[in-house]
Amino acid sequence: MAGPARESHRWKWLLVSPALFVLLLAASGPLVIVLIYSFLSPGNMGGVSWDPSTEAWFRVFWSRDIFEPELVTLNDSHLAIFWRTIWLSFQTTVICAVLGFPTAWFIATRSARTRMVWLFLITIPFWTNLLIRTFAIQEMIRSNGTINTALLWLGVIDEPLEMMFTEFAVLLGMAYVFLPLMVLPLYAAMEKLDFRLVEAGYDLYASRRQVLWHVILPLVKPGFIAGSILVFIPSIGAYVTPRVLGGGKTMMLGNLIALQFGQGRNWPLGAALAMVLLVIVVVALIFYLRVTGSEERARNGRA
Amino acid sequence: MVGRDFDVRRLPGFGLIAVLTVIMLYLPIVILVVFSFNAEQSQTQWGGFSLRWYEAALNNRQVVDVSLRSLWLALAAAAIATVLATMAALATTRVSRFPGQTMIYALINQPLMVPEIVTGIALLIFVAFLKVQTGYSGMGYLVVAHAAFCIPFAYLPIRARLETMDLTLERAAADLYATPLQTFRYVTLPLLVPGILAGFMLGFVVSLDTVVITEFVKSAGQDTLPTYMLGQLRRVVTPEMNAIATLFLALSLVIVTLFFMISRKRG
Amino acid sequence: MTEQTRHEIEITGVGKVFGQGETAFHALRNINLTIRTGEFFTLLGPSGCGKTTLLRVIAGFEQPTTGSLSINGQSVVGLAPNVRTVNTVFQNYALFPHMSVAENIGFGLKMLGRPRAEVAATTDEMLRLVRMESMAHRKPAELSGGQQQRVALARALAPRPRVLLLDEPLSALDLKLRKDMQSELKRLQIETGITFVFVTHDQEEALTMSDRLAVMNAGQILQLGSPHEIYNAPSERFVADFIGETNFLNLKVTARDGSGATVGLPGGATAQARLAEGISPAPGDTVPAVIRPEQVQLCPPGEGDMDGTVTGAVFFGTDTHVHLTLSDGQPFTVRRQNSADQPEPANGTPFGLRLTPGALQILRG
Repeated sequence: MAGPARESHRWKWLLVSPALFVLLLAASGPLVIVLIYSFLSPGNMGGVSWDPSTEAWFRVFWSRDIFEPELVTLNDSHLAIFWRTIWLSFQTTVICAVLGFPTAWFIATRSARTRMVWLFLITIPFWTNLLIRTFAIQEMIRSNGTINTALLWLGVIDEPLEMMFTEFAVLLGMAYVFLPLMVLPLYAAMEKLDFRLVEAGYDLYASRRQVLWHVILPLVKPGFIAGSILVFIPSIGAYVTPRVLGGGKTMMLGNLIALQFGQGRNWPLGAALAMVLLVIVVVALIFYLRVTGSEERARNGRA
Repeated sequence: MVGRDFDVRRLPGFGLIAVLTVIMLYLPIVILVVFSFNAEQSQTQWGGFSLRWYEAALNNRQVVDVSLRSLWLALAAAAIATVLATMAALATTRVSRFPGQTMIYALINQPLMVPEIVTGIALLIFVAFLKVQTGYSGMGYLVVAHAAFCIPFAYLPIRARLETMDLTLERAAADLYATPLQTFRYVTLPLLVPGILAGFMLGFVVSLDTVVITEFVKSAGQDTLPTYMLGQLRRVVTPEMNAIATLFLALSLVIVTLFFMISRKRG
Repeated sequence: MTEQTRHEIEITGVGKVFGQGETAFHALRNINLTIRTGEFFTLLGPSGCGKTTLLRVIAGFEQPTTGSLSINGQSVVGLAPNVRTVNTVFQNYALFPHMSVAENIGFGLKMLGRPRAEVAATTDEMLRLVRMESMAHRKPAELSGGQQQRVALARALAPRPRVLLLDEPLSALDLKLRKDMQSELKRLQIETGITFVFVTHDQEEALTMSDRLAVMNAGQILQLGSPHEIYNAPSERFVADFIGETNFLNLKVTARDGSGATVGLPGGATAQARLAEGISPAPGDTVPAVIRPEQVQLCPPGEGDMDGTVTGAVFFGTDTHVHLTLSDGQPFTVRRQNSADQPEPANGTPFGLRLTPGALQILRG
């Protein structure tokens, strides 16, 4: 009887299987279908016809002349949207980091009681409907919205600024909507920070700037990386914010994908574009895991 | 002269940025709420306090319909997701590693990683196919889609709760003659309740918030509040929309407060 | 104490290996141990010595890799903890935070399916036993460390186990409380007559509370005996070093007789020494020997068994530790009772050292 107990894994599989079933049915399974659809031909009225084709993937990056199909050029409008998507997401991440770091630091250095209040204040928008927050921004920046009314009243401007349906509007909206996603992980990292290390920095003649740069930032780096990934990934896949604030001229990848299933009526192209988006996200995630993995190894190696 | 203590936690200017950031976070929401009580149909000119837009919203058959649909959809999806997530968390937390575990994690967390728009069009394709094959076009698709989307959100706090749970408590129960089932019933489950509640609330809010997936999965006449609002935003927006948004904000506020109270009780 | 002959726990050849292959860790190696009914038995050793693993094997949380284990004459290998008539007081108490004190105490009996009235009666009895009657409806979080400790004890005692296992139960308490709980534990053990198996790394705790104790290191039992035997007749260097303070000397055996030996001391004198169990050194062998610092008296130079020169003195209140160098250069410490008129010995002062007869012990190895 003695000896290593043979463990049965069957009960574990029984317990997880209902969740896995639902996830396979409504999350992972459909992704496989998207992959398959990206290699089919578009149907006449949306949908697909079951002719295998790589045309959709070709169309992601290149376009053919309507009259001379042999004439192939880079698909400028798609590439512009890819570039805008990545560039806006990057800027969103930077803005969130620049505003989020001081905010998280300020919260983490309050007394335990006030800290809870501040954290609560940051968390409420995080829990608030994304659409409502986007709507609130829209009301701010409309041509007859709050900002323009205030500026006109103050006499700063003579006629309303056109902010809606610009890249600026999308950037503002995304930074506004995703900011809590940066603050919360940064705060979590700072809460664990050993302030004796900061004291040690000052004790060893570092200035405030030097302590910030050489002690605090390296110590809260994991929070920075986590926050950046949490902001960057939803930005890359953003659909609602650019749809409401950006309109047709400043589409992002998410809107381009949706377009193929609406007016575009090119499901295979939409499926291929969705796969491109997925690849960008996976690359970002792998980058994140690499960075955090090597950080951890470095930390453990020294311990 | 007595100098001020040197505060190692202070970084000059950070307090100001923090305060401005919080103001920036709240200003648009506050303005939205304030003008929901405006007597006039303007988002900028204050014409006195009035509840007319709330009246209008509550008398709007469509608004009431989509709100109720959103609520019951969120309740159903969160309930399903919480039960499934609890079972999954019990099977994957505090156990020796077993083959397939990484795959299970990947599946559970997939809705967190994959952009909503990708999941949305994937479901659109799949559901369109199912509708043709089965002829069924009811709310079932939305319930399952929302439940799947909510599972990782419900799973996280339950798993976190399980992980911080003192293993010796269950050992103590076993030592005091409790069978594994009794241990679960009298020790594990009661201690897990805050995590389960938190998971349920997270799931509820996430379902309530979900617009992209609903937009692509819904059939005609299955609008939820977010998709209804998304459609309305293209038109001329009246303060009626502010009133609806404010009501939803109030609901979120109640849930966050509950969530905070539950998670503080843990400590 | 009357000598008990009934065996409560018999452990034969128990080994426990964690992991496999090159990373395998031998937590227990060939443990043979008999614990008698009704005794207060202590497993003593440094952290990582295997004492807690052994306790967990007895409780049923770990299965032994080899060997056998019986409780009250019946083999319990393979039995789950919830069917063993053994209860544990956990190191961090492991009180159920969502249950009141009374519910915690009654938990075991409830799980055994005892009638409600019996559960209530036993709970009351236990509350009285640990003097916690007024706290019955409090939650564990509302109790102090010492009170939590009492509840944990009452909870483990309530089902009337044959054996109570205590895993460093006092380590989380401060010194004053620990002293109180030590006598409390001893009282409970005598009142209930239950066999206690107590795990600790605190040698003083082990010496004051136990009927017998086992000193463990690196997964093995090094010595088993009464506190008196362990302290006065350590069998090896580790035991002598771990328990109390001691002087180690390398001495040459000059003659053997029956159960002891005559050894040559630094300076030429000889002394009688006891032998650790199982060794038989021959005349001429150099052997390790120990003598406790309080078993040596200082006297004028030349009048003792050895001579030494003071190198330092540390004042401890009731006594002073006088550090000396013997004539052959070996360091030596003497503990001298303090009195008001005695001056602290100055460095360089020569002294004679008189050994208490029979205090010198030759070690194994």
